Amino acid sequence: MDDLIRKENIQIGVDAPSWQDAVRGAGNLLLQAGSITTQYIDEMIAAVVELGPYMVLMPGFALAHAAPSAAVLRDDISLITLKTPVAFGNEENDPVKVVLCICCKDRESHRTTLQRVAMSVMEDGMIDKIAEAKSANGLLALLQNA
Amino acid sequence: MEKIKIQTVCGFGCGSSLFLRMKIEGILKANGVDATVFCGDVGTCLTNECDAIFISEELSERIKDRASVPVFAVKNFMNTAEVTEKVLSFIQDKQQ
Repeated sequence: MDDLIRKENIQIGVDAPSWQDAVRGAGNLLLQAGSITTQYIDEMIAAVVELGPYMVLMPGFALAHAAPSAAVLRDDISLITLKTPVAFGNEENDPVKVVLCICCKDRESHRTTLQRVAMSVMEDGMIDKIAEAKSANGLLALLQNA
Repeated sequence: MEKIKIQTVCGFGCGSSLFLRMKIEGILKANGVDATVFCGDVGTCLTNECDAIFISEELSERIKDRASVPVFAVKNFMNTAEVTEKVLSFIQDKQQ
């Protein structure tokens, strides 16, 4: 079975003093993977500013993303855990310790992979376990066995 | 009776609305309700045919005055109790 998320797209214990750093950290993995341009990172940050921190979907978990656009070169997903939890401004679900970052070429694409990741992440207690993962392999195992 | 269509909406149609959609699908299944759930984005959701819109509270402000179907503002997409309550109350109203 293919890895749900490429190991290169996973990073543990990222140092992010602010939520923008957290979004950049997750975005940089996609940049390095060649899936987005730096523009997409700016778009994700602008999205939080414009639409509010509703992207903090669950306690401790933020979904960084922006609209499908030319800044997306191909569908991809990255996941980071933060060294220190960071506030995004969402009273209910702050502070964030896990950031899932997605980029889609168009609205319909790559649903199944995203769905599988979303289902795993939505399991009770999964965010806490992910935040405590000590390695990318460990984290991936958690997601794939959910 | 035609199958109920529920639209979940987020800022971009390919992110959090997917999570909400899966959440609602789970709730419908657990309650034995047959309905279609699909994702939309805040820019175009009002042109998509559906029986109800589930959207985050912040975004709901943008559409609720213009929507022709019930709009359910959800404070926390992942709060099962909140989403369940809203989904079930809508279904019950619809079925009466």
